[in-house]
Order: sequence, then structure tokens, then C-alpha cells
Amino acid sequence: MTVKRWLPLALGALVALLVPAVTRDNYVIQLLNIAVLNAIVVLGLNFATGWVGQINFGQAAFYGLGAYTTGIATKAGLPWIMTPFLSVIIVMTASLVLGLPTLRLRTYYLAMTTIGFGEIVRLIIVHWEPVTGGTSGLRAIPGISVLGIGPQGQVQHYYLLIVVLGLAALVAARIRQSSLGRAMIATKDSEIAAEQSGVDTTRTKLIAFMIGAVYAGLAGCLYASSIRFISPDSFSGTQAILLMTMLIVGGMGSIPGCIIGAVGLTILPEALRFLGQWYLVLYGLGVIAVIVLAPGGVASLASRLPRWAGAR
Amino acid sequence: MGQLVVNGLALGSIYALVALGLLLIFNTVQIVNFAQGQLLMLGAFIGISGAVTHELPMALAWASTMLAMALIGIVFMVLVYFPLRGRPPFLVILTTIAMGIVLENIALIIWGPLPVSLPSPVRGPPLRFSGVVISMHQLFIFCTLAVILLLQYLMLTKTRFGILMQATAQDLHTARLVGIPVNRTIAVAFAFGAILSGIAGLLVAPIFLAEPTMGGSLGLKGFVVSVIGGFGNLPGAVIGGLFLGLIETFGARYISSNFRDAYAFIVMIAVLVAWPRGLFGEKSSEKV
Repeated sequence: MTVKRWLPLALGALVALLVPAVTRDNYVIQLLNIAVLNAIVVLGLNFATGWVGQINFGQAAFYGLGAYTTGIATKAGLPWIMTPFLSVIIVMTASLVLGLPTLRLRTYYLAMTTIGFGEIVRLIIVHWEPVTGGTSGLRAIPGISVLGIGPQGQVQHYYLLIVVLGLAALVAARIRQSSLGRAMIATKDSEIAAEQSGVDTTRTKLIAFMIGAVYAGLAGCLYASSIRFISPDSFSGTQAILLMTMLIVGGMGSIPGCIIGAVGLTILPEALRFLGQWYLVLYGLGVIAVIVLAPGGVASLASRLPRWAGAR
Repeated sequence: MGQLVVNGLALGSIYALVALGLLLIFNTVQIVNFAQGQLLMLGAFIGISGAVTHELPMALAWASTMLAMALIGIVFMVLVYFPLRGRPPFLVILTTIAMGIVLENIALIIWGPLPVSLPSPVRGPPLRFSGVVISMHQLFIFCTLAVILLLQYLMLTKTRFGILMQATAQDLHTARLVGIPVNRTIAVAFAFGAILSGIAGLLVAPIFLAEPTMGGSLGLKGFVVSVIGGFGNLPGAVIGGLFLGLIETFGARYISSNFRDAYAFIVMIAVLVAWPRGLFGEKSSEKV
């Protein structure tokens, strides 16, 4: 890779690492932690949606499944180190069960079944009160701890999550370069053409969907044990739409776009809190504007910038 | 038992109306409007503004709601569909969802979060048949559905406009080439789609109360019905709607009312696994 490609990456990492030096406000750091976790989930969503072109409103449910698996398991006394594996097993099973029969479906049907899946998961969480705590959620979830060692305080958690996000982005970039990644793009461009070139499109869709679910499940696991409080609201259908919006606004198919979209749209509602109800009106109109005017999202605007500057 | 059937069919008729509105738009532009539920909510609130706040006579309140919905439908089309003609349907799903969020929050700003009631346009003592009570409003819902179904069937098959709609759906560019006013046809389809969901809103508000967040779940039920019946299939939408109303009512009574909203999705997923194009088939298939 050339310097030109490394420079923004290094700058981004530097800014991310320097944030705790600027502010040690727990509220701000916690918000950033949630933003980083959302970024991991959106990176996962990007596999099936950004690269394979399959709509997926089930991502929030996988996020929630990971979080609730971890919350319930650690509160029952299981050692923390088991929870990432447990979460991955649960979300992989769930994504296989949901994906196997539905990924052959057309756009609208897939949108509806994933919305339905999310709603069923939410209803189970809300009504299975003795185990999930119902609408009031689970509190005082034990923190991350491996052989008695674990991050203390928000700032240490922040650094840990940044490292995980970096790894998640790296893995995503590697997969994109692999033959699987090329099969994903081919499936998106034209399923018929991809099939003709020997790509098993159903298998590709399923794998992309499952990798995305694993990202969400792991992020959910880390959410439960670093924020230490979970409630059904964080993993509802509204959240699923928000995750999709982050992907669209950031830029579908672009790894930096996913991160920008997730971090931006997690922080924006807090920064614009003074707008009250109007925020959601502007948010909706903003999403329409991005889809109509900049279909590649913020990431595509950034790459168009040098051209505009050059044209002058 | 008989009472549950009546209640289920009344609820199902509303779902069928939402599905019929979706169908009109789908049959013209092959787009599924994910803000149909929010349009329904607007219909209910505009009706309330007319009939309750400004104390208009019921017939006038209904007429002005339908007029307002027609305009809203056209504005909706211009903002949400028009700029995205020819782009992947996936993007239009997202713009309609975003518009749903906008409409819901504008309603919250204008009418506030508290549930409001709208009186039924019909009055009178309920009918009783051996223990089964049918309220005048339920009867009115059944009649409205029957009339709309008949009108829509005639419009789609017998009028010039129905033929224009079919031509537009089949091939937008060819339709334009042979001189069909494509944009006007699409605008009329959206206007009628919005009117239908407005009527559904006017019918729902006297049973459940109207609140700005009511649209989300009702809209989703409309899609579930469309999926069960097959998108764009007229009898499928009505039978699917009544079927779903019965399932929900009986499920809530005999299984668990907590999972009332889940039955729709479970049935839908089961139907899709068995018949990927709905029970009654789709009107058109994917173009290569």
C-alpha cells in the first residue's frame, strides 16, 4: 500500500488513541465506547448488505443475542472467557436458522423476515422476565476478566475496544481481498452472472450473513461486559434501522465509511439533543438526502473531494 | 368463539385495507412502501383534527381526510420515490422507512404523544346473533372493505387507468415510449394508496386509540399480509388480511397475548419457507 492510503488510516488511529488525553469525562468516553461497539456491528452488517447487497434488519437482534448470552451467562457465574465463544455459538446457530431458508428470498421478503426475526427476539427478551429482566434489563453484569486480569474504568475499556475495532476492520479488509470477498461483490453486481461464473451465490450470501452475525454477537458480548447494563431498547427494530442508516450514511462497502457512519450517528443525537423531537425529523430527511444525493455515503464524498479541488 | 371470529375478521379487514394500499403502489412501480403504517396514522389524526378538534360533520371530516391523504401521497411520491427511479429497490425501502420516521415525529410534534379517540361515523345498537355481538362499527368496517375491494377490482381490470397502471408496472420505458403519461399514472397510484391507508386509519381510530407510534406495527402487518397473499395479488391481500386477523385474535386468546405481534411474523416466515412467493403467487416475477 502506498503512503497515500496509509496516511488517513494512521491519522484516524492517532486521533482515536489521543481522545482520552483530551477528555476524561466518563459520559463522553462511555458514549465513544458505544460508538466503537456500534462500528464493529456495522462492519459486520457491511458483509451481507454492503458487499453482497442483501438487506438485513436482523443485525440488532444478533447484537442483542450476544449481549444477553453474555449477561445471563456471567451473572449465572460462568467465567468471562467462556462468553465470547458462547455468544458466537448462539448467533451462528441463529443466523444459520434464519439465513438458510430466507436468503434465497427477494429483497422485500428478506427485509420482512429479518424485521420479523428481530421482533421475535425482542418479544422473547421482553417477556422472558425471570431470565432476561424484561423491559428493565440486566444490571451489574460482571466485567471483562481473563485469569483475574481485566480493564478497569472507562478509559481502559476504550483502548481495548479500539484494538478490537482495529482487528475487526483488518479481518474485514482481508476477507474483502480473498476469493470469498470477490464472490460477494460478484453476487451483488449480478446474481445470474455470478452463478454462471461458478460462484455459489446462496452459499456466499449465507457465509456473509453469518460472518456479520458473528461480528454483532462479539460486539454484543463486549457491550454487556463493558457497559455492564443491557435493556431490550438497545437492540430493538429502531436500533436495526439505525445500524442500517449508519452503513448507508457512512458508505456501503467501505470499511472507513462503516466506522465514520457508526461513530458519527452515535454521537450526533447526543450533540444535537437541544433539537428534541426535531432531531428525528431532520435525521429522517438527512437519510433521504444522503441516499438521493450521495449514494456512496460520506466515504464517497471524501474520495470525490480531491477531484473537486483539482478541477479548480 | 363466534365472537372471536367476528373480532378477528374486523381486525383482519383493517390489515387487508393496509395491504390493498400497498398493492396499488406495488402494482404500478414495483415498490413496497414501508411508511404505509405512518400514512395510516396521519389519516387517523387528520380525521381527529377535523371531526373532534374542529367539530366538522363526520362525512366532511372523512372527505377532507381523503383529500389531504391524496395530496400527502403525491408529495410522498415526489420526495421518496421520484428521485430514486431505476435505482435498486433496496434504497427505496430505506427512503420509505426514513420518511416513516419523519412522519411519525412530525405527528408527535403536532399532536403530542397521548392517545386520542375518534368517534365512529355510524351509530346504533349492536346486532346480536345467539350470543355473538357485532357492533355497528365492525359492520361498517366489513362494508367498507367490500366496497373498496369491488372498486379496486373494477378500477384495475375495467378502466383505462387500470390498464395504464399495468403497462407502467410491466415496463416503465416502453410505457413512456407508447405515450402513456407514466409520471401522472404513478402519482395517481400513490395518491390512491395513501387514501386507502387514510381510510384504514379512520377505521382503526375508533377501535384502538390513535397515537403517533401506531403506524409502525400496523404497517408491518400490512406487509405480512402482502407476503402471505403474494405481493400485488388482490384476492390474496384480502384473504391474507382476514386470515392474519383471525390468527392474531385466536393466538392472543388461546396461546399468549404477550406474543400477539409475533404470530404475524411466525406465520409469514413459515409461509415463505414453504411457498417463497406467497400462498397465492405474485403478480409479476423478477426481470432478468
